[in-house]
Amino acid sequence: MSDLLEKYVRPEKNPGTACKGCGLRLAHRRVLEAIDELGLGQGDVVWGTGIGCSGRQTFVTWKGDTFAGTHGRVYAMATGLRLALPPEKRLILTVGDGDAFTIGFLHLLNAARRNVDMTVVVFDNLGYQSTGGQYGVTTPLGSRTDSSPYGAWEPNWTQGGFDVLRILKEAGATFLARHTVLQGHEPVESLKRAIRNPGFSLVQLIYPCVTHYGVQALGTRDPAAIYDWFRERTAGLIEGDPGDRFTTGILHDASGSRVEFSAAMRDFVASVQKGERHV
Amino acid sequence: MKRTFDTGNAAITEGAIRAGCSLFAGYPITPATEIAENMSRRLPQVGGYYLQAEDENAALHICNGGAIGGLKAMTATSGPGFILFADAFGWAVSSEVPVVIVNSQRVGPVSGITGAPGQGEFYLSRYLTHGGNFETIVLAPSSVQEAFRLTVRAFYLAERFRTPVIVLADQMVTDGWETLELPESEAEFTAMGLEVVPRRIHPGPEFYPASDAIDIPPVVLGHNTGAACSDWTPTDRGHDTEDVTWQHKHAWRLIHKIRNHRELIDEAEEWFLDDDPDVILVAYGTPSRVVQSAVRAARREGLRVGGIRLISLWPFQDRMFSRTATYLTVELNWDGQLVREVQRAAAAGSSVHFWGRCGELPSSGELLETVQKLLKNEPLERDGWRTEKW
Repeated sequence: MSDLLEKYVRPEKNPGTACKGCGLRLAHRRVLEAIDELGLGQGDVVWGTGIGCSGRQTFVTWKGDTFAGTHGRVYAMATGLRLALPPEKRLILTVGDGDAFTIGFLHLLNAARRNVDMTVVVFDNLGYQSTGGQYGVTTPLGSRTDSSPYGAWEPNWTQGGFDVLRILKEAGATFLARHTVLQGHEPVESLKRAIRNPGFSLVQLIYPCVTHYGVQALGTRDPAAIYDWFRERTAGLIEGDPGDRFTTGILHDASGSRVEFSAAMRDFVASVQKGERHV
Repeated sequence: MKRTFDTGNAAITEGAIRAGCSLFAGYPITPATEIAENMSRRLPQVGGYYLQAEDENAALHICNGGAIGGLKAMTATSGPGFILFADAFGWAVSSEVPVVIVNSQRVGPVSGITGAPGQGEFYLSRYLTHGGNFETIVLAPSSVQEAFRLTVRAFYLAERFRTPVIVLADQMVTDGWETLELPESEAEFTAMGLEVVPRRIHPGPEFYPASDAIDIPPVVLGHNTGAACSDWTPTDRGHDTEDVTWQHKHAWRLIHKIRNHRELIDEAEEWFLDDDPDVILVAYGTPSRVVQSAVRAARREGLRVGGIRLISLWPFQDRMFSRTATYLTVELNWDGQLVREVQRAAAAGSSVHFWGRCGELPSSGELLETVQKLLKNEPLERDGWRTEKW
């Protein structure tokens, strides 16, 4: 694995900022594995990041071209950047669950609507952990966090019949998958398909936070115990209500089925310039 | 030269196109909507991209994204949209991204009056984001023709200074119809005093020098230079630091790359200042045109009255207020904004007064009457408002 870091990660940013025992480094590695297995080099990928644990772990780590955006707005930035980049450049964004599904959700939905070619990798640590552990929209109901001392009760987007990825499917996303980082090579395969899709892809990678979620919600910061809790809750794709389980797998693969936004924009502009369209 | 009769909105559009703008993202809002509409028609004709964002926050972020990919980008809005730029504007300032922002000021706060001119964003344009530790470039046109010129200039300064530049117009400038002369050749363009700096690409590896140097190419992604574009404090070991020394270096650059080269930005017009007038009227944007009429009318009556029109607003041109005099700012707001800055900058012994109104212009007669009162040391009362010495 150190070969991968040497190949792709700026030496001054290795080993990263994640806490000891955190699953975030593993999540970061899953993305590097996918890039490596696709045979992509540092010049093939432009990497953007958000804020929070995921942003801090990954931002300005990529040896190639990279940017760090504002919280929740990298999808809008990536929409503009995609218009400027050569189509063959892969655009990968590593963000957190709060970034993607709450503060940035409007922009995420609109990037999906336009089918902008980008791969959004949501490093989901089940809430706001870099600020000390507050509940978010993927925090399991009943979890005790610093802002839900009586147990999280606000409806979330992963239980009670809701699935945030289904909303994105309806919004026009062309590749959607969910995994935990503990599922071996499975997430890597999904990430490869996501990166290959010439359109809007999102992979939700759930990973264990030992420092806050582990201590506050599970009563332990022992990685082995927390990883066991993860494994017990992890299931494949489930028809109907999954209860409190993490449903994992490829939820939607319509790769290449919709015209990609920047390609459509270039075609549109060319048609105006050729005089094929008039006001 | 192509002589037309058109709006400030059209002038801004043509200025942007001629400056090389190839990306516009915006959100419809009165009275800036026509800029978006004009861009949607003009940009595809020149190979550029127009898109409608989900909100103004997204609009400027889309522009920022295009800009770090190498496109010259612009957005345009009015007050309620302008405030939503705070997030993206701060990112562009700190990441040193050239981008142009147009604000056609209307009457506020919030929705206010949508189709009437206001000047409520004098300070907001200076501090469009949080945190301080930066300087801002703001230009204020007062006519259709000048809206064209200053839009071209905004793109020029954005490239040289690697920073967002704001064109602070008002509803009368953007909606108003006037004669507009557009250059039809490179020679005519240059003869109008206009310049374009093409987008350059920073080769790396030091993307953020800790100096006040300008004319450094912006950070552009996609060329495999190892470009790192980030609002986080840059250091010699990347960007993620809580170190106050590096943060100081970063802030120093953001402030002084602009302040130390302000001779490239400063621009103002003076009327009858040569005989050290007793009263000097101060304005920017559309009200300055009434001020000019009022100053002329005062001179016809033999009064020693002069005028200053600020064309660049920020960094503020303190040097314009080095005369000890009685100053009267004329603004399209009721609370007094420009007046505060003039009071700070005015030479010792000066007195500084405020004439404000919102949604409509003063008449030159009203201003003349106010000047006469000032000369006689009478209290300034108008419409039930006491606008005494500020």
